[in-house]
Amino acid sequence: MKKLFFLSLIVMNVFTIYSQTKGVIFDDNNLPINQVNIYLSDQNILLYSNEKGEFISESDIPNNSYINFYKNGYSTKVIRYVSNMSLDIILNKLHISLDEVGISRSYNKLGNSMLTSVEKKSVSDIFSYSTSMIESISHASGVDVISSGTGIQKLVVRGLSGMRVVTYLNGMKIENQQWANDHGIGFTDLGLYEIELIKGSSALQYGGEAIGGVLYFKDNPFVISKSISGYLNSKFNNSNFLFSNQFGLKWSINNLYINLYGQYSLASDYRLPNNSYLFNSRYRNTAIKFSIAKRKKNQQNIFRYQYNGDEIGIPAHTHKDLNNVNIDDITNSNIDLIDDYKVTRPTQFIDNHLLVYENNYFFNNSKLSFHFGHFINNLKEFEKWTIPAFDMQLSNSQLRTSLRTHYNSFTLNFGAIAGVMKNKNSISERLIPDATNNEMGFYSTIDFEKKKIGFNTGLRIDFKHINSNEQNYDNSFLALSSSAGMYFNPENYILKLIYSGSFRSPHFSELFSNGMHHGTNRYEIGNAKLKLEKGHQIDLKYQWSNQHFGLVVNPFTHNILDFISINPTDSLFQNSYKIFKYSQYKEVNFSGIEMNFHFHPHSLHNLHFEQSYSFIKTKNLDNNQALALTPSNKIKTGVKLNFEENNLGFKFKSFAIFHLYSLKQKNVVVNEEETDAYNVIDLALNLELYNRISMVLGLNNLLNEIYVPHLSRVKDVGGGIPNPGRSFSVNINYKF
Amino acid sequence: MKKTTYFLTTLSISAMLFMSSCSKDSDCHECHIAYMNSAQEEVEVEIGEFCGSELEDVEAPGYTHTIEETIIGLDTVPAGTYSDIHCEEHAHD
Repeated sequence: MKKLFFLSLIVMNVFTIYSQTKGVIFDDNNLPINQVNIYLSDQNILLYSNEKGEFISESDIPNNSYINFYKNGYSTKVIRYVSNMSLDIILNKLHISLDEVGISRSYNKLGNSMLTSVEKKSVSDIFSYSTSMIESISHASGVDVISSGTGIQKLVVRGLSGMRVVTYLNGMKIENQQWANDHGIGFTDLGLYEIELIKGSSALQYGGEAIGGVLYFKDNPFVISKSISGYLNSKFNNSNFLFSNQFGLKWSINNLYINLYGQYSLASDYRLPNNSYLFNSRYRNTAIKFSIAKRKKNQQNIFRYQYNGDEIGIPAHTHKDLNNVNIDDITNSNIDLIDDYKVTRPTQFIDNHLLVYENNYFFNNSKLSFHFGHFINNLKEFEKWTIPAFDMQLSNSQLRTSLRTHYNSFTLNFGAIAGVMKNKNSISERLIPDATNNEMGFYSTIDFEKKKIGFNTGLRIDFKHINSNEQNYDNSFLALSSSAGMYFNPENYILKLIYSGSFRSPHFSELFSNGMHHGTNRYEIGNAKLKLEKGHQIDLKYQWSNQHFGLVVNPFTHNILDFISINPTDSLFQNSYKIFKYSQYKEVNFSGIEMNFHFHPHSLHNLHFEQSYSFIKTKNLDNNQALALTPSNKIKTGVKLNFEENNLGFKFKSFAIFHLYSLKQKNVVVNEEETDAYNVIDLALNLELYNRISMVLGLNNLLNEIYVPHLSRVKDVGGGIPNPGRSFSVNINYKF
Repeated sequence: MKKTTYFLTTLSISAMLFMSSCSKDSDCHECHIAYMNSAQEEVEVEIGEFCGSELEDVEAPGYTHTIEETIIGLDTVPAGTYSDIHCEEHAHD
């Protein structure tokens, strides 16, 4: 028996040795390139080239797998691998890298970057470089943040958020009571690698309900490393005395891959520009993440689990009319580092568990994927110490299968999704009742690409059944979504035109809410008569670049029919809290233009200058007014100077300046305050202390600007509570 | 080098577990009647510190507290029975 076992091992190893795939990467002068990232996106595995430019995959790469080759300073290349093809790859040296403005071609989970308007952002180093992942992602044009202090933040895409912007994490839809502006994204940057973003509704594979867009977060890929590799990361910020620590470990052997991550963060109340502290803006976070993958010749199994626990204070809590609050009543003049880290009230306690199992099978010209995910969100909101105001558990299970196949210049995708979501209250006090949502969807997309042109088209049908015995509600919704896009790609520019149409059925919160919501200081009442919301978006994108200059111009218009909105009434609950009710507008319009410039002067090869413009206008066609919470227009500028290629003998790696100019927001609805223009400047200096230890020193809000973002949830309290004042941060990273 | 790596990793994980486990909060809290005066401004009348099951009683729906005599001061609070009682903290100055 033992002999048989050892024989099997030898055979397996021989098989492994003979099934390796090798390649080599050169630059345009035929010199090998070291440390190129070779990302097997279908297998979620990352390889690196060695000093000779060579790389080896432990087992054969299946036919029609996509491989991305990228390294900072070189052109990105995406190939569709065919068995026995030569993997001698040439990457041209570039002066500018334009991945983030969407010019480089890339393979994406959300679809072909040429045929859908996918934007990508690396988030793997965000812990070191940014005070928050959400704020860093909002550097992209057309993306904003809704915040309640620094502990609760969520993304807004072209003016839409909440239920209209669907978030996926490793292929699983995140359902975490995202209908409310005081409910954050539900996970941190721990172990994350990249975010893909679609503005609007053209992501049919993931986009049922995603009228405003899709955010797709991906974990770090697995790496081939027989010894354990990893990192330790620590961060301190003196605005809220944040201490945050992360670790990550990666290991692989015989096509078995393991990643493990952990995080603990503790923050006190944040300091305003006038040196007072916003009471109860403190938070704690604990997170752990584990992934394991087993790869065989034609298939791969991946299992992931992650836990994210948050204890988040809800600042600006008051029993008075928000407009009559004195800001001194909700701030402290100093900080007590013993008491002001402690959890107080009101506070949200959030526990999120995510389980994902994924199987990919490759055969002939096709890839068959099977994905199962289960997400549990437990949200407790306490105003009192001993009795929660509500205690809800939202569980969501989703089963998805998809088939991608290639035929000449065509790529066809077919898929089916089935899901069950249940909202269950643990106590008798409730804002949203117990309710169940069963859904099923089917989609099909066709991509065609030949030489300089391409087009795609797709259809998706979704059936949803919502039931709540408590509300005596039983209703079904049938929705048909569609998208069509085309591109024209001559020598140095790309022109894309994309139409997308999608539908969103009302959520439990919009249908059934009836109770006090302490997080938003208001009483909310749902509307069981709500109908489907329907969106139609046209997006035109022009992208041009040469060696030193890149430009993207992206106008869009988005009409939404039967737009669901929550609006204040004249009534008060307990003589203190405004009563808000859900209703529908017949038609609203979101339109605007986004532009990106990337300039790299020939004389200063290490200097990068990027600027983006986001202009958005909203209109409620029922009354010709703007819509509430329309993001202000913004100009975002980044200047980065890399020292890596200079031989100055310094340990400096880079220096970056980020400037945000937000214009005055005058387009408001009745009872909504206008917000002033503001400038915010952040600085970051990246140093290499020793071989494996690096440090980032940050100076945030350099000018100590007193500013209140238009989308701040606390902008109406006490005349507007400003964002944090000037602060510094220190981040230390040790890689091994 | 490997030993150092494993040591640092173990230290980091232990520190995180320690920090996660040392976060017990006190379960005694000052409570007050929230009285709205004629100008619709909240006046806080301290009613003492409550712990454990007493705190649960004070926070339970239906709990009332009686002020026997009218409090005369900067803000006058009339004698009577009050049900609007809060035990959450506010900014400390």
